[in-house]
Parts: sequence; C-alpha cells; structure tokens
Amino acid sequence: MIVALIFSVLFSLAIGIAAARNKRAEAIIIPTIDVLQSIPILGFFPLVILGIAAAIPGAAGIDLAVVFLIFTSMSWNISFGVYEAVKSIPQDFIDLSSMTETGSLQRIVSIYIPASLSRIAYNTQISWAVGLFYLISSEVISSESSGNLQVHGIGVDIFNYGSAGDFSAYYSCLALLIVAVVIWQFIFLREFSLWAEKYRFGDDPRAGKKDWLLKRYSWVNQRSLAKLFLVRPGRGVTGFTSTLSRFRRGLKYSILILFLVFLVFEVGTFITSARAGATFNLSILSAAPGDEAFILGGLAFSFVRIWYVYFLVVLVALPVGIGVALHERAYNALVPVIETIASVPAPALLPALVPLTLVAGGFAGELTAAFIIFLGMIWYILFNVMAGIRTLPGDLWELKRSLLVSPVQAWRSIYLPAVATAFVTGSITAIGAAWNTLIVAEYFGSTGGAPLTQVGYGIGKIIVVATYGCGSSAIADANVKLCGMINADGGAGDGLVLTLSILSMTALVVAFNLIVWRRVYHFVTKRYVYNR
Amino acid sequence: MGGGAAGSGTSPPSGPAQSSKDPIIVVQNINLSFKLEKNAMPALIDVSLSAYRNEFVALTGPSGCGKSTLLRIIAGLIKPTSGNVRFLGDPVVGPRTDITMVFQNFVLLPWKTSLDNVAFGLSFRKDLSDEKKKVIAKDALDHVGLGGFENVYPSELSGGMKQRVGIARALALQPQVLLMDEPFSSLDDLTAERLRKEIYSLLINPESPIQTVIMVSHNVEEIVELADRAVVLSPRPGKVVANMLIDLPRPRSRKAAEFQEWVDKLYSYLA
Repeated sequence: MIVALIFSVLFSLAIGIAAARNKRAEAIIIPTIDVLQSIPILGFFPLVILGIAAAIPGAAGIDLAVVFLIFTSMSWNISFGVYEAVKSIPQDFIDLSSMTETGSLQRIVSIYIPASLSRIAYNTQISWAVGLFYLISSEVISSESSGNLQVHGIGVDIFNYGSAGDFSAYYSCLALLIVAVVIWQFIFLREFSLWAEKYRFGDDPRAGKKDWLLKRYSWVNQRSLAKLFLVRPGRGVTGFTSTLSRFRRGLKYSILILFLVFLVFEVGTFITSARAGATFNLSILSAAPGDEAFILGGLAFSFVRIWYVYFLVVLVALPVGIGVALHERAYNALVPVIETIASVPAPALLPALVPLTLVAGGFAGELTAAFIIFLGMIWYILFNVMAGIRTLPGDLWELKRSLLVSPVQAWRSIYLPAVATAFVTGSITAIGAAWNTLIVAEYFGSTGGAPLTQVGYGIGKIIVVATYGCGSSAIADANVKLCGMINADGGAGDGLVLTLSILSMTALVVAFNLIVWRRVYHFVTKRYVYNR
Repeated sequence: MGGGAAGSGTSPPSGPAQSSKDPIIVVQNINLSFKLEKNAMPALIDVSLSAYRNEFVALTGPSGCGKSTLLRIIAGLIKPTSGNVRFLGDPVVGPRTDITMVFQNFVLLPWKTSLDNVAFGLSFRKDLSDEKKKVIAKDALDHVGLGGFENVYPSELSGGMKQRVGIARALALQPQVLLMDEPFSSLDDLTAERLRKEIYSLLINPESPIQTVIMVSHNVEEIVELADRAVVLSPRPGKVVANMLIDLPRPRSRKAAEFQEWVDKLYSYLA
C-alpha cells in the first residue's frame, strides 16, 4: 500500500507538473485523467488481475496487480492536485525564477514541488481512504480467483477467517485494521498535512488546522467534479463555451473512449483465450447481441439498487450531517468517531454482516448488498454536507441570530439551500463509489466454495461470474441463465461478457455524469453557492 | 426635532446632534476578555458611551481594537464579561429586532431574490402573511432606490446594490436602533461615495422610526462626513480614548476647511 502511495505521488508530480507547464501535455493528460477517474475502476480489476497474472505467473503477478490497482485508485486526484497547484503558482514566482536564471530541475525542486505539497497532503488523505477500500476489495477478489495464488495481507486474512466462521480471529483482524487506520490517519497523515500547510500561497496557514478531517471528503468540490464537467477551477465554464473548443474536446474524448474500448476488448479476449486454452476467433462476436441484452438487464437492476440505497442514504446523511455540523460539541465529539467508522472499508465488514442479514431469508443477499452500497456511499454525502455547513461564514450566523429566525425557517431558508452544492458534489461521488462497491456487494465469493452472499441479478454479479466462471453448483442454482451462457462460451470465464459488461457499465456511468449530473451541478453552483 | 420637522422629509436636518439629551443606547462599563490557552486576554476595557436621539454615532479605532466586537455586544450577539447595554433603559440581553444590523459583507442569501431577502428579515413576524411581508419588503426596496429590482438574485447585483438590499432588509424591520458594521468598506470608492451621500437623510429623518445609528468605520473622512459623534478606541485592548461631538453643519463638504480640521483631529487620535 505504501509502495503504491509512493508511486502515486511520484507519478502525480511528474504528470501534474508536465500538464501544468506544457500546453501539449496538458491537452492529452487532462482529458485522459478525466475519463479514467470517472469510470468504476474496480470493474476493471478482474481484467487487470487476470491480464497481469497471465503475463507474470505466480503470486508476484497478483501482488503486482493489487499494487497497480491501488495505484490507479489513488493517483488521479493527487495528479489533479499537483496540476492545479502548479497552475496556480502566482506568475511573480515564475518570473522571479526566470530572472534569477534558475535551472528547470532547480525550479521543480524549489518551486513546483513545495507549491504542490499542501494539495498532495490532503489529496493523500482521500487517496488513502479510497486506496484502503480497493486494497481490501482487491485482495478479496484476487484470493477468490484461484486457490494457491493468494497475496498476503489483512484483507485476505479478514476474509478467510470470516468465511471460515472463525469470528474471534476475524474480529481481532478487524480491530487491528481499525487501530492501524486510526494511528496512520491521526498521526502520520495529520502531521504531514499540518506541515504541508506551511507551503500554501496566500492563505492563512492556521486555516488548515481546524476541520482537517473534512478536507478529505471535500476535495471533490473542486477537483473531480470540475474535471468531470470540463470546467477548470478558477477559469469558470465560459472558457469552454466556444464551439470550436467544444468540438475539439468532444473529438478528444471520443478518441479516448474508442481507445479504451479497444484496449478492454483486447485484454478481455486475451484472457478468455488464455484461460480457456482456445484461440481467439471473431465468431464469438455473434453472441454479442444476446449477451448485451442480458447485461443491460443486469445494469438496470443494479441501477435501481444503487438509487434506492441512495435515497436511504440521503434520508440519513442529510439531516444527520446538518444536525451534527450545527452543534459545536456534537461535531467535535462525533467527527473522530464517524471518521473511524468511515475508514473501515465496507468489504471488510461483509463476513460480520452476512450472519446478521440471514433473518431476511430469501432477501438476505439483497440486504447485504444494500448494506455494502450504503456504507460505500454515506460518508461522501455526510462529510460534504458537514463541510457545507461548517464553511458558512460567521456573519450568516449573526444574521440568523439577529433576525430571530426560528429553527424551522433556518432549516428551510438557510441550511438546506446552503448545503445544496456540497450535497450534489457528495451525491455524484457517492453514486460513482456505489458502482465500484457493486463488484463486492452483489456477489461475494469465498475461496473455492459457495459464495457467502449474492443477489439475483446485477451487473456486479455478472462481471464477477464472467471473470471466474461458474465453478460451484451454488451459483448455477442461483442464476441458471447467467451460468448457462458463460459455460456455453468457454467454461472458466467469459471474456466477451466481461468486456461488454465493463464497457456498458462505464458507458452508463459516463453518460449519466455528462447528461444528468452535469446539469444538476451547473444549476446548484449557479444559485446555491454562498461566497463573497 | 423642533423646526427640523417642518422641512421636507428628504433634506437632512440641519445642525448637529439635535441638542435633545435623550439617551437611546447606553453602554455602561463594558469589559470583555477572551480565553486564550487558559489566559484571559482582555479585548475591551471599561467601555462606556451613549447614543442620543437622532444621533449618528461612529465607532472607530485601529484594526483589532474591538470596535466590531463592541457593536455586536450592543446588538446582543455577544455577551460582555461584565457591564451592560441599555436600550431606552431596558437591558439588552440578546438579539432583538428593534435593534438591527447592516453587515460589511451584506450577508444576502444567494438563493433568494432581493425581495425575498428583504422579506426574510421579517420572518420573525408570525402575525404577518407572506403577502403582507412582500408588500413591506417592496416598500423598503423602493425606499433605498431599488424599485424594479425585486426579482433579481444577489449574484446579478453590483456591490452597491447588494448593500442597498442589506439596508432595505434592516429598514423593513422598522428598527429604532440601526447598527452598521463598516457598511461601505466592501464597496469601491465611487459606489461608496454615492451611497454615503444618501444614507444620512435615508436613516435620520422625521418619518424614520430609527432613533439612533451606530456605525463602525475606520475611514476618517467617512466619519467626519456622516457622524454627529465619534468614539475612538485605543489599540487592543480597546478603551475609549476620545468621545466628541462633530458639530459641523450639514450638508458637509469635504473641501471645507473645518472638515479638514476635523479629519486631522481624528487622525491625531488614531495615529
């Protein structure tokens, strides 16, 4: 994990500085990262792990795949942080370094890197939480893939003890994980971020001390969303309204997406042929329309699943977030607690959840999935809403008090509208995260045996089953059609179904972002931003 | 008011400080200290002052002297460590709507139109229907020269217009005491100049319910232009170092020699 983090930071520095200082590099790097960060990375994991494992046999290949996945999950936001930091260095400093004839290497060391530090620090915080989620998920998935090719890590241990029913060992692993996370966050990340605050341009360095917890979740306010919606921070939307630049941008994105489609398809078919021992031929494409219809059905089920859980999340997170943020004492007491709970990756809780959801009988799988999706989403909304309230200026509170505004009116006229932007930001990220959790939530397997839990139908399940095949009878019972289709195509796994599934999911997520969220985001930022 | 009431409502009453010695606001021996790492840091020491009927009082002093804090104590937003504030003899123990405030940064809700922002100021009036509130709000907007801008959102208004909405919101409450915290300092010079020219007669005239205005400012010319009385605080911790009547006739001209004398005099207390 540390290895992946170091790689992420180095990679981000190189990419971010290159994009910020070189027009041509900027034109390629920024849209690429845009697309890459808005797609559900975990969906690609089966492809990545099988691809790397096929190329590098043995445990080393799987370890490499895990590091690679965590790396990809952590890099994008850090890269954007560096890019923005370097981009926003006051021109005076650049001029100064030109006048003193500073060499380019020295300029990187003495200006670009220090200027990026505070952004790296707080992006590292969010990356760490995201990375931890992927760490646990990917270790679990990789241990699923085949019996003796296991990586060693806390994720695998938790999972193995949990599925073996050894709950005392499971709980001690879980406790160990929580302790490690807390120590890491409260000691290392916090100190790093306080230290890095000294390197900020302009702002009051003391500002970083309070509410450092919130920064982890509010980074999206500027970063991912602005990128997702082709708005560059500090420049506004207007820069992109000219038809020409829109057209060129559209072209760039289409090429990128086409390239991605090609890449995924190549890897997918490569894996199928490698696993099935068969040679690839175009005839399997004839199954595509039927498979696609089946996949779209799965997507629809997953879509509904995500949205009903989202509404539950909103019902809890919106009032709780506002309520806690309004009360100084509740806020100070509860944030570290919430932070600790939030830092436990949802998949690690699965073995504990499974026995609890058994009461739901036939709906146990559905209930477990809802739990995992819920836990994967709620923090983004909760922390964003809290940040939305906490960042309101003091004179607004004075206005509210001096006008004797009643609590009901304050909720209706001040709090709810005031958190609208933060709430939408949180929602977009939460829904994005939910697509990732599907891989774990909809089908949770165990090493070689029957799955611990699964839903009837859903894109996450299709992806997992298409990757690993229908080895056990339990799966076949649960979904005859899915397994029938996959077995007919190749036995161990189905590259075509896998490829189509991932592409369909990615297309849905990207299209939904561009068509729906983009508009909502523009609407709320136009009217509901409280600033001076 | 005497003969002043006979004049037209818009022209400023002539003469300073209307000799009637009727204290509207009395600030008595205010002390305030903040806790800073177990030590009590004094912010205001034994501050006393009075604001009389039809008086425009300016509170000034160097940055950080506690003048804005003092204004918030008068508003009932901050509790002093000791001492008290009385409004017509009645102790001010918390925020009240007959004492209201105009903010430096306007504090308009961006999701409400100017009309709704002004009407929001009346939300404590449970006895009024929403329609009635809007009628009052419309009148207040007309009064500050924003007729026709009822359905415009703050983001579409200039700084000067935003502050006019802020003032209209305060006027709609029909307050007896108006507190203003550096009301012109977020505006550019020209806009501030124009608003300053209107504000005195807008606030202090025979029809206005406002009995006294207390304004925080660090702009010496602005104080001499507007104020009947200037109260100067010392650098932190704030103590009253001067409390004087500016007895210049109105309208006041910045070019007049007496005006410059007052400016110099105030500067000598601040330097």
